[in-house]
Amino acid sequence: MYKFKEGFYTDVRIEDVYETSILYTLGKLDESRVRKYKAAFIRVFDGNLWYYSATSDLDQIQNEIDKLYQNGRPNPDILNHPIVAAFEVHKDTKLQYTGNSVAKTPKSEKENLLKSFFPVLNSHSSIKLWKAIYIDARKIYTIYSSKGTELVFDTQRAGYSLRMSFSAEDKTFNESFQFGSSCFEELQKDTDKLEEYIVKCESFMRNAKSVTPGKYTVILSPLAAGVFAHESFGHKSESDFMVGDETMKKEWALGKKVGSDILSIVDSGQIPGSGYVPYDDEGTAAKETYLIKDGILTGRLHSASTAAALEEGLTGNARAISFEYEPIVRMTTTYIKPGSKTFDELVSEVDDGYLIETIKHGSGLSTFTIAPSLAYRIENGKITDPVNIAVISGTVFETLSEIDGLSDKLELLSFVTGGCGKMEQYPLPVGFGGPYVRVRNMMVQ
Amino acid sequence: MIREYYRSRVKETSINIINSKIESIRNKNIEKTGLRVYSNGLIGVAGAIGAYSDDELYKEALEALEKKIEYPAPHSSDLAISVDRRTEIISTEKLRDEIDALLSELRERQPDFIYSNKISLTEVGTGISNNDSLCLEYADRVFSVEVIFKEKSSSNVFDGFVGARERKYDRKLILDEFDFFLNGYKEKASLPGKGKYPVVFASEGAPITKFLTDLNADVFAQGGSIFSGKTGQKLFNDAFTFGQNLDPDIMYNTPFFDAEGTVNKDYRFNFIEKGVLKAPYCDKKTAHKYGLTPTGSATASYDGVPQSSPIRLYIERTADNVKRLLGGQLGILAIVYDGGDFTPKGDYATPVQLAFLFDGERIIGRLPEFNMSSNIFEMYGPGYRGTAPCTFLPFSTGDFTVIEMDVSL
Repeated sequence: MYKFKEGFYTDVRIEDVYETSILYTLGKLDESRVRKYKAAFIRVFDGNLWYYSATSDLDQIQNEIDKLYQNGRPNPDILNHPIVAAFEVHKDTKLQYTGNSVAKTPKSEKENLLKSFFPVLNSHSSIKLWKAIYIDARKIYTIYSSKGTELVFDTQRAGYSLRMSFSAEDKTFNESFQFGSSCFEELQKDTDKLEEYIVKCESFMRNAKSVTPGKYTVILSPLAAGVFAHESFGHKSESDFMVGDETMKKEWALGKKVGSDILSIVDSGQIPGSGYVPYDDEGTAAKETYLIKDGILTGRLHSASTAAALEEGLTGNARAISFEYEPIVRMTTTYIKPGSKTFDELVSEVDDGYLIETIKHGSGLSTFTIAPSLAYRIENGKITDPVNIAVISGTVFETLSEIDGLSDKLELLSFVTGGCGKMEQYPLPVGFGGPYVRVRNMMVQ
Repeated sequence: MIREYYRSRVKETSINIINSKIESIRNKNIEKTGLRVYSNGLIGVAGAIGAYSDDELYKEALEALEKKIEYPAPHSSDLAISVDRRTEIISTEKLRDEIDALLSELRERQPDFIYSNKISLTEVGTGISNNDSLCLEYADRVFSVEVIFKEKSSSNVFDGFVGARERKYDRKLILDEFDFFLNGYKEKASLPGKGKYPVVFASEGAPITKFLTDLNADVFAQGGSIFSGKTGQKLFNDAFTFGQNLDPDIMYNTPFFDAEGTVNKDYRFNFIEKGVLKAPYCDKKTAHKYGLTPTGSATASYDGVPQSSPIRLYIERTADNVKRLLGGQLGILAIVYDGGDFTPKGDYATPVQLAFLFDGERIIGRLPEFNMSSNIFEMYGPGYRGTAPCTFLPFSTGDFTVIEMDVSL
């Protein structure tokens, strides 16, 4: 334990990290790395400013704490400061992945998982280049605070991504086949599904047509819908953007109608996958937060600082990408709740629109964007030609009210490579998902 | 056996701003070490963050050889260069008070906005050395402003961004740069209608992602690129020269060598020269595999095997200033155009979240959001007007590129 000085709030987050990264290019091993390290991030608050230090030398933590104290001024009333008062105090050990830790799985099994896909990848002459990537990460967090928090908990993720560059008849196309989960044992080795996917990609490359830019009804797959929820509204729910901003407080007042009646968006750190964080990086227990319920703004995401500033409850969303960074308000697993229509019903009701199946990336400013990969035209209620779309976009102020149909099945997914970016902190593992979501008047280019 | 160390150190003081005031100060001093061993065409790598035992690291690197990761390319050798570009920009001790003063003045001069995010003083040190007389060392220190602004009356999460990365600090000039953008932001402007307009991009942020994906040597050599088989062909504008530039005079906080210790002549390698496709980017291993010239484009994590990845791309200057490239026309200075992308055949489209009507020297006013589009061969072909140094920003240096784009309102 550490000696915490009176007059300051202090917490220490120690990360014990195990990570694997394996990369094959065209069947040849290009990378096989196991990374293990322990490091810490220390925060001291004097009621006026926060002082942070990141160190990879755990023996120096006390020294780093003492150095940070020299920067601030002791505050005898620190415990009554609204931010400090807001911190939850937990004494708990929650190690969910000790038994099925990815560190216990032999590397050969991880390599064999990738190798099981090689014959399929090699059997298609249209695939000019492929890369097979396996990654996993288990992190054991230990958090101590001067308020009495003593936490030990873990998170874990594992997944693979098969990146393929197709080319034929002067046409090219890049796409990935990926699957992520919490445990190695849950990773699917479905080569038939890969074969089917490759055939679909080949057909897409050969037949994809250009689109006429304009506003259309778009049906988003669960993958695209999850990114849509994340980009269109999730980032607006991160309340650090709202602190001290009277316009935003009025614009985003809880209880305001912000979307169509059928729309509910949830963020939860309790769901297994990339967004699972039983406690956030300042020791707040994970919670399920309805951001939008039946079209009404009902919640937003908080750290202790933002919760105190806006006089709202903690949500467990203070997260950092690694020991080198301070926790800031981030999403965990964000998804749209399912509705009542079947996928076929959603499609049959569209005269002229597009289906977005897979995506390359998204962004979440005032105008949010999704860059589609596999996309198809919908004409007179039927899915027809594959299409090349550079970007679809909309404004959050208008688009959420344009959602007019949700399918009845929820699918939750995890990023395997990449993740969410916010200013300097990228990539953060998050979960996302939804049903098929139909949105009117999306800009398609 | 070749034993090679790849080291990096980042020492940083970063000030976080929330609601236009300092909220926190973060100190970071992180050293990462990689040890590579090369033997019989194989590579083994081990790495450590912070303190480490050299014997232990060497043992781990030797064990890593058992993974049989092929590395048949010759390692770098017989080269010793040390570049230290650190200057005393501002002392860490004075940084907090100085940024406090800067923010105070900014709040007074531009009271209609809320400011947030980071201002940092970052020192980097990178080195690569081996027992075959390779010793390359680089050190640098940079002051960076990465401040987002939001008009107090706006409902957006944020409205724009003022960014600068320089080996200098000057409060007055930084404030003048904020004035340049924020005074421009407050004025409203409009375009006469949809059509083709010259758009001015910061060269570092120009839409080039198609080059990143399709000039990758693996993709290129295997035939998966729209540029495959077109080496030596004139594909773009005569004035368009594009490549990698690690010249320490121009590029800050970036070593002049890549992660394999390759140092290019004049620190540059052009992938496209005067419109002609010359080469894809690659590391030594990929170059060896396909019989290509290594372009000094290897990156690696401290404990990873080097991989091909472009570093600090640049577009060669063609003019003295942007005004000349606009040729008397009004242009669009694009600041935030986030989320767009290229289709497989090279069509490009993006929404433009923040842009100004611009005469090459001063901002006329802020434009409403719009969409822009083109095609990679058009943008850097007939639509490419050129690239020029910045002569209009008070504090920032860096180049700007002018491209004709189709704009729809």
